[in-house]
Amino acid sequence: MSPDMDNDQISKLLRLKLYERPPEDYFENFLAEFQLRQRAEVIRRPFYQIAWDRLRHLLALPNIPRLAMAGSFAVAVIATGSVLTWSDSEAPLAKKNSRVSSKTSPSVQYILPAEVVSYASARRSF
Amino acid sequence: METLDPTDEQLVDRTKAGDARAFDELVVRFSPRLYGLIYNMTSSHEDTNDLLQEVFAKAYRSIRGFQAKSSFYTWMHTIAVNMTFNFLKKRNRRKTMSLDDVDNGILNDPNFIAATSNGDPSHSANLGELQKKLNESMLKLSHDHRAVVTMFDIQGMPHAEIAKILKISEGTVRSRLFYAHKQLQNHLQEFIKK
Repeated sequence: MSPDMDNDQISKLLRLKLYERPPEDYFENFLAEFQLRQRAEVIRRPFYQIAWDRLRHLLALPNIPRLAMAGSFAVAVIATGSVLTWSDSEAPLAKKNSRVSSKTSPSVQYILPAEVVSYASARRSF
Repeated sequence: METLDPTDEQLVDRTKAGDARAFDELVVRFSPRLYGLIYNMTSSHEDTNDLLQEVFAKAYRSIRGFQAKSSFYTWMHTIAVNMTFNFLKKRNRRKTMSLDDVDNGILNDPNFIAATSNGDPSHSANLGELQKKLNESMLKLSHDHRAVVTMFDIQGMPHAEIAKILKISEGTVRSRLFYAHKQLQNHLQEFIKK
């Protein structure tokens, strides 16, 4: 027998597997089960995962180029990070300065450069 | 007046816009076909049911990322095949068969009659034997070969479509089919008429 005929017979035999089917009502119940599982999954999933998925979906919007979205997101993250870092490093200094000035204002001492001091004393002597 | 059913792509767009019922419609449309695909690769109803649920859950989660570069049909089949491959890798050599009942229509199928009527008029006695043998033979194939045989021989998909789903060339599809058929011939010899 030719290989083509053998192949044909194999195909015919395998197509009999189409008759192996789940019970009639299986597909009717399948959708209901799917909906139940989906709801259960939403309840079970932690908040950060839902947020992450939403973000991914947002980045995958078809009408906005992905790279542009990802780029602007990265810029936004860096900008926010820099602002937070700057304000963190500035805030304690400002606080410290204000505390120092309020405490030391009555007896504040300015250290002036030598030229300025000599110029001032020369004027005083006039 | 006749109302036209929405196309898959229209349902996808509606799902993306937040219409969960549109996705339900896609589940109804695709579940019988994807069930057949997964079932013939796993030979287990329980595993098929769980996998099919996971396939649709995954598709729903990633549907906004579907860019329509391929048809929704191809996209769904790719998800189903990949998830089944991953599952089979984990299941490894645990070969469980919980075969679905065979539809009685098979008894009148000329191919079944031809395969089982070698002097034995009792078709139903041969039905179980044939089903067992077919599934054992399928399980002996590698996962790659089994996928190609399922899609081509059982589901009747063209080579080009299988190539797209598996992301391989049509030549590779043909070559896998050739080797898979050779292997199946050895296992199913008793049912092949000489």
